[in-house]
Amino acid sequence: MDRDQPALSASGVDKVYGKGDALVHAVDQVELEVARGEAVAIVGPSGCGKSTLLYLLGGLERPSAGTLTLAGQRLDRMPESGLARLRRHSLGFVFQAFHLVDELTAQENVELPALLAGASPRRARKRAQELLEQVGLSDRAGHLPSALSGGQRQRVAIARALANEPLVVLADEPTGNLDSAATTDVLRLFDQLHENGQTLVIVTHDTRIAATADRLITMRDGAFVDETSLTGGSSRTLAAMTGLQG
Amino acid sequence: MGRLLLIYRLVLGDIKRRRVQSALLVLMIVTTTTTLTLGLMLHHVSPDQFARTRLATRGPDVVAEVGPAPGSSRPAAKQLASLLHAPGVAATAGPFPIAFVQLTAAHRISVPVQAEGRDVAPTAVDQPLVTSGHWVRTGQAVIEQGLADSLGLRVGDTIRLRGRAFKVGGIAVTIEQGFYPGTIPGLVWLTHTNAGQLATPAVPLGYILDIKLTNPGAALTFADMPALNALGSATPNEPSMIEPWQGIRTDDYKLISLNQKVLLVGSLLLSLLAIASIAVLVGGRMAEQTRRVGLLKAVGATPSLIAAVLLAENLLLALAAAILGLIGGDLLAPLLSSPGQGLLGSAVAPQLTGSTAVIVVAVAAAVATLATLAPTIRGARTSTVRALNNPAQAPRRRPGLIAVSAALPVPLLLGLRLVARRPRRAVLSAASLMIAVTMVVTAMTVQHDLAATGQRRVPYVGLFISTAVSSAAHANHLLIMLSVILVVLAASSAISTAWAAVIDAQTSTALARALGATPRQISAGLTTAQLLPGLAAACVGIPAGLLLYQLAGGHLNEASPPLLWLLAVIPGTLIAVAAVTAIPARIGARRSVAEVLRSE
Amino acid sequence: MPLQNASRNQSQPEPSSGYQLRVVQEVLLALLVREPSYGYQLQAQLQLALGPLAAALNGGHVYVTLNRLEKAGLVVSTRVPQGDRPDRKVYELTTAGDERVREWLADTGWPKPAPAEFHLKLVAAAAAGIADAVGIIDAQRHALLLGLRDAQRAALGEPDGSIAGLLLEGVVLRLQADLRWLESCARYWNAKRGS
Repeated sequence: MDRDQPALSASGVDKVYGKGDALVHAVDQVELEVARGEAVAIVGPSGCGKSTLLYLLGGLERPSAGTLTLAGQRLDRMPESGLARLRRHSLGFVFQAFHLVDELTAQENVELPALLAGASPRRARKRAQELLEQVGLSDRAGHLPSALSGGQRQRVAIARALANEPLVVLADEPTGNLDSAATTDVLRLFDQLHENGQTLVIVTHDTRIAATADRLITMRDGAFVDETSLTGGSSRTLAAMTGLQG
Repeated sequence: MGRLLLIYRLVLGDIKRRRVQSALLVLMIVTTTTTLTLGLMLHHVSPDQFARTRLATRGPDVVAEVGPAPGSSRPAAKQLASLLHAPGVAATAGPFPIAFVQLTAAHRISVPVQAEGRDVAPTAVDQPLVTSGHWVRTGQAVIEQGLADSLGLRVGDTIRLRGRAFKVGGIAVTIEQGFYPGTIPGLVWLTHTNAGQLATPAVPLGYILDIKLTNPGAALTFADMPALNALGSATPNEPSMIEPWQGIRTDDYKLISLNQKVLLVGSLLLSLLAIASIAVLVGGRMAEQTRRVGLLKAVGATPSLIAAVLLAENLLLALAAAILGLIGGDLLAPLLSSPGQGLLGSAVAPQLTGSTAVIVVAVAAAVATLATLAPTIRGARTSTVRALNNPAQAPRRRPGLIAVSAALPVPLLLGLRLVARRPRRAVLSAASLMIAVTMVVTAMTVQHDLAATGQRRVPYVGLFISTAVSSAAHANHLLIMLSVILVVLAASSAISTAWAAVIDAQTSTALARALGATPRQISAGLTTAQLLPGLAAACVGIPAGLLLYQLAGGHLNEASPPLLWLLAVIPGTLIAVAAVTAIPARIGARRSVAEVLRSE
Repeated sequence: MPLQNASRNQSQPEPSSGYQLRVVQEVLLALLVREPSYGYQLQAQLQLALGPLAAALNGGHVYVTLNRLEKAGLVVSTRVPQGDRPDRKVYELTTAGDERVREWLADTGWPKPAPAEFHLKLVAAAAAGIADAVGIIDAQRHALLLGLRDAQRAALGEPDGSIAGLLLEGVVLRLQADLRWLESCARYWNAKRGS
């Protein structure tokens, strides 16, 4: 894939549910381009369609209209098997509900994407161990999800999302089910990933997560209503915010 | 009143929301109730028809017959004369002439028959009872009931005997010989003149004599008397026969009992399938229902209200299924009855009696209650929070299987892990499939038994052996129908089981898809998860089927199908299971991943 | 839907520097309760407590404040000769100062001002008709987000259990609350603009 090509893009994307009077535009004519290494946060009130948009971007849902590309390939026309294969190496997904497999240990959970992609058990295990170390959970590798806290589970899920070195990591309300302390852990992790050059698209209603992004997009009723760039600025502003001045 | 309305709304709402699951549940229960209905209905077939017919037709105690002897010096009729005044004889009728001819029916079917010449006036011994039409007239034939049913002949049809046209004037029953196709050739009555006209120099007339004894019980000894045997031994070229009425009854009952055996075995198996399906049903719904109980508790419903809601929903579905099952059984049963049995009272198809209906409805209600009890009790015992969060048995962890599966290709990995995670469901699937395999194997065995027996039947008249028309043919037909029905029911049960398993694995497969598994891999994984129980089912079902046949009264040494056939059941089962799982798997794969994962 | 991005990406003007922080006075007084201290010692303690935010306090601020407190009679200073170096002042709490400290510690007033000023800014802008309320909100939101980002980065940089980290957590949460309120403002003023 060309270096200058955006990691993913959406053009004229629509998603409608229902019909007639009950027609709902979950996503309404969205245009988006995410460059490699960029971190984009999408915020908005509940039901504004941001999660739907994320699933569309990841090929987990089909658009009603418009084009979607991931890693330079058109998603909207691809058959299900092609999408699955594309997801293997181009996409890592982090869910609000974690969706870890209950009867597998943390390590086995992180191994799963590699195994599904056809890697040997040994390679998958090695990669899983590396990733668990990266997220700081090496000592919990043998624990079942039920023995982990919410924050730890989400970190395992993030490790899993990174298993196949994806081009993009999509996160749907990653801290939605977490308390403040766990949110900080996950926040730190996303910050690190961003610094390492991982392309991120995060849907959230938590402004703390949103503040880690390069770009913040606000959605309402299925459409983008605002876009802010968060690069630049200085801590002088911070001091002013806290009322410490002199 | 308000409570009833609330219950009604809750029940209807839930059914509407889970349309597919409700339909599956109804399907499974319908399978159960249909099989049960059939089993009960078939059980009623077989009153003592022979005795009734014997009484009504003034049946003979002994029948003596001398076959045609071309070029014989002694006229056949004379040979029978010595029996007219033998000791123990109370009355006789005949000797009546018999012509051996081919009967050709309108649709070009041609079978050998013996055409008996009879008086128009009734005789004291063996007066066939006309069940439709009238007795012999010139130019008209009366057909034996079994023969008429087999050929589909009715009063008014035209038949040809040795090329001569006759109108079918009537249909009658007799016990002079066993009914067709239990005994061949079939029997047809004509006037004396007409019968005489059918003889040729090559095949002259034979003669038959009906004898009534003073002591009917002595018929067997009578038939063994040396003097009579002399009838046949003197000239080997003159075929002859002396048949006591018990022998004729045996002939008739061989056919009836064969049919009955088939039906009995069938009804046993059907009932077993019913029970197995119930177990699968109740077991499969547990998790979901426990969660509902938790939910209702959490919103403040009293235990009695919860029980009422669950019971109402289960009852509603079960009763709907019961009615469908009764209708289905009623529609299918005639296919399994035995029309064409040439005895009184046998032309009637099995009836759907009130008691059958009551039993079926009761069973359906029992299933509903059982299915309600278990989760209600469980929900009452567990705390609400646990019931909500942990509705199913938490999936078991089997480190060995997990490690092993990691090294396998993706479909096997998925399949093995799916089975490992819900072993109980796998066991239930295996049980339900095992019943199906058992049925197929038993059906195969009965079929094989018939084929073997059919071939050993001794032909009556050397000149007219026809293997195309054997006594086994009808039972065979019966068996084929039964097998088809069993297979259809087994298939529907297998489909419901597979579908339920696919739904159960929804989240797992959606996650796998999100992580990069293709629909084909998912489909193969789901199939694999069903194949393992299928394999177990096949291995256990084969001996079980043979055992069941034995238990139902068959003779295994003669009847056992060739080993190769039996072994072929294994791959056959696997292919069937794979096919049946592929459909819901494919449909499940179309659902968008997002939809499944978001609803969790 | 076209977005008006252009204005937002320009750098923000420097905020006014004449804003006095009253609470620093009471803090210095309280730091002197245990024992008298040199000015530089008080400065060091403040910097430890504020962490990265201490940069907002320039060096002279502490001494200027101590001067004012002396003029108000809440502290007294004593010169201490340092040999060949310039004299240093030791500061000591007076009775009045002590009383003031205890009053301050017992006071439960919450110093952060209510968002009345910003609220009035929007109302006034709408009335004056020279600036778009929604535009002002967006600009402020952008600024707060940058602040949030910086506070967060700073917080993540602090080791676990650091006292400055606690302050930063407070900053973050406040900014979050403010941003939430700004969202409500945006909804309101957007609707108003539409009608």
